[in-house]
Amino acid sequence: MKLLHTLPIILSASLLLAQGPAGGRGGAGAPAGPAAAIDFSGMWTGNMQEDSAERGAGPDLVDYAGVPINEAGRLWALSYDPSRLTSRFHQCDGYVAPYSVRAIGNTRVWEERDPKLQKLIAIHWYSQTFEGHRVFWMDGRPHPPAYAPHTWMGFSTGTFVGNTLRVETTHLKQGWLRRNGLPESDQATLVEFFTRHGDHITYTSVINDPVFLTEPSIKTTDFFRQPIDPGGWLFPCDDSEQVTGRAPDQVPNYLFGKHPFLEEHANKYKLPALAMLGGAETMYGEFEAKLKTATVAEARAKTLPAAGPSLTSRAVDPDPKDGNIHVLHVRGNVYMLVGDGGNIVVQTGDEGPFVVDTGSGKLTDKVLAAIKELSPKPIRMIANTSFLPAHTSGNEKLKNAGSDPSVVGTFLALAAPNAGSTASILSHENVVTRMNGSLGAPATPPGSWPIDTFIGDRLRKFHNGDSVELFHTPNAITDGDSFVHFRRADVIVAGDVFTTTQYPFIDTANGGSVQGEINALNAILARTVFEHSGEGGTLVVPGRGYLSDEHEVVEYRDMVAIIRDRVKAMIAGGASLQQVKAARVTADYDTRYGANTGAWTTDMFVEAVYNSLKKK
Amino acid sequence: MKLTFASLLGVAATLSLTMPLPAHHSFAATYIEDAPPTEIKGTLKSFRIQNPHSYVQIEDEKLTDKEGTPVRWVVEWGAAAQLATQNVNAATLKAGDKVVVTGAPGRNPEDFRLLMRTITRPADGWKWPVGNQTFR
Repeated sequence: MKLLHTLPIILSASLLLAQGPAGGRGGAGAPAGPAAAIDFSGMWTGNMQEDSAERGAGPDLVDYAGVPINEAGRLWALSYDPSRLTSRFHQCDGYVAPYSVRAIGNTRVWEERDPKLQKLIAIHWYSQTFEGHRVFWMDGRPHPPAYAPHTWMGFSTGTFVGNTLRVETTHLKQGWLRRNGLPESDQATLVEFFTRHGDHITYTSVINDPVFLTEPSIKTTDFFRQPIDPGGWLFPCDDSEQVTGRAPDQVPNYLFGKHPFLEEHANKYKLPALAMLGGAETMYGEFEAKLKTATVAEARAKTLPAAGPSLTSRAVDPDPKDGNIHVLHVRGNVYMLVGDGGNIVVQTGDEGPFVVDTGSGKLTDKVLAAIKELSPKPIRMIANTSFLPAHTSGNEKLKNAGSDPSVVGTFLALAAPNAGSTASILSHENVVTRMNGSLGAPATPPGSWPIDTFIGDRLRKFHNGDSVELFHTPNAITDGDSFVHFRRADVIVAGDVFTTTQYPFIDTANGGSVQGEINALNAILARTVFEHSGEGGTLVVPGRGYLSDEHEVVEYRDMVAIIRDRVKAMIAGGASLQQVKAARVTADYDTRYGANTGAWTTDMFVEAVYNSLKKK
Repeated sequence: MKLTFASLLGVAATLSLTMPLPAHHSFAATYIEDAPPTEIKGTLKSFRIQNPHSYVQIEDEKLTDKEGTPVRWVVEWGAAAQLATQNVNAATLKAGDKVVVTGAPGRNPEDFRLLMRTITRPADGWKWPVGNQTFR
């Protein structure tokens, strides 16, 4: 068993020695002048002697030493109960690119060239583990906009700097910095340098993560070339029910300050627990002096949020806010329109566009123009995911720009000559009761109200060759929320129940509740299927933010459930709302979602969670 | 025996095929590997060969929950390809088999999880591992 781990290291060393100095074979490592393309094609294996425990069986819990994490990163990791990975939605989570490159296993590299001009278009870097297929675009194309999807591998562009390939990666999913719960956010970016010396590659990576790091995390490793195909390139993964009887809204987590294995790793190596809690200071030699005086009390203090105001989001705003509507092709005949408040979705086809939500009303003419570009036919149907103005303020204009020929010629037309002269608006019944002012919310113009409403759990339509379903999710952010599922395209439009930009807008005055919000996210997850390694497959359009899939919904669900658990525990202990706010129960998520100003602040969210739990 | 460069490469290629398949989780973070192994006896309910790791579910013959329902253990094992090289495949175990398992306990006792160390089927004497078989 141990031999298996040790032999590759010995062999690696032997191979390194056997092959002589760098650049000794074939001249591949020789600098060829500025911007010369070095060929990295072939099969490579990473040397495992550095961080071998990390890259093989995995690190111990609460070992964050030498990683420049901030408070949010530390608290996120300390809240992480490894049992979370028994959830079927996490079992196949892949590795993010920075982790994948240094993982165990082999890598195959090949070039993609224009067949006529032989220009280098891309370098493919394919890792055996989780089938991590990275594409380094070498043709100068730009990175996608901030509202484009994030993936495990991200989006990479490369350039040659002398004999070094420099790669920049954005659009990564949330993943691991270390496999013991230490997180890397979806806002992280990566810069890498690949330098070939004959049959070796020297590799350096620089991770910048504004959400969880205070300084860049820099790592190096090296690879040696494999002349014989090692095979075994595939990495399928299936999920299954592992822990029976667990309620779907239960997300294993440790409350702040309650990590049961806090000192286990530190004790094992006879080091102060403070050192294991990481932070930039633990990267530098000066910290050695601190080790002599570090106390357990100092370590324990770091397991709780510091007193003071909440921190705010460091995430990029996915909305360009440039006064234009931007169209992103989602899949098949489904498109996402970004720029007018909440995201708008358009499904096109012979029967006329089916539109989900209509935006904040500020750019409705441009929304109409964008829809016209997608389809010359009049809008036939509009669905509202809630009554919230960011999603319904374009209702009247879009409705009037459309028509519903299915109504013309029916008996309805005999009584109402104008029947069918506009598009139909669909929603749950409670959307209308909120929009018409009968429940106290300010009334909107009658022309904006949905007319084709439903009660119960579902409304069904077959439109443009697809089965379209609206699913009501009771008392989530309001009492009238629905998500829309285009079954054939396999695209879910979530509305503000799920966003990538803010804490959920739980509108308790209009029927929202934290438990309903968790249930709604689980209802979405009950309909998603990933394609590979927990990503792709069913696509999810958030109410605001970037096009997502199951993984983003799961992380968001986990967050809401974990914060609920913290607030619930404090309520059980008799805490007041002010005490809950002062405890900074969202501290590990604030650098991603927090706001201290604007329409939806962290305080408002915590208050909504508190109040909806108190109501019970 | 004289080790030639070519023979080293051959061994390296073979090793790369038999390297442990990493899970997305850390074993050390998920299980208390230093703890004395937990032994369970019971009836095999399912054997799911999958990647990155396979799972065996076992209904405990004695232990029950508060409602009196037998506890169901989930035992993590090797990847399908790893087990195949050790003569373990989907036909090796079947639902209803009476088995004895030892494993490293999971960190959350309420999950009833184990990391497989040994499994035996007393009825016919079948057992794993044999020799130096492992998936770690």
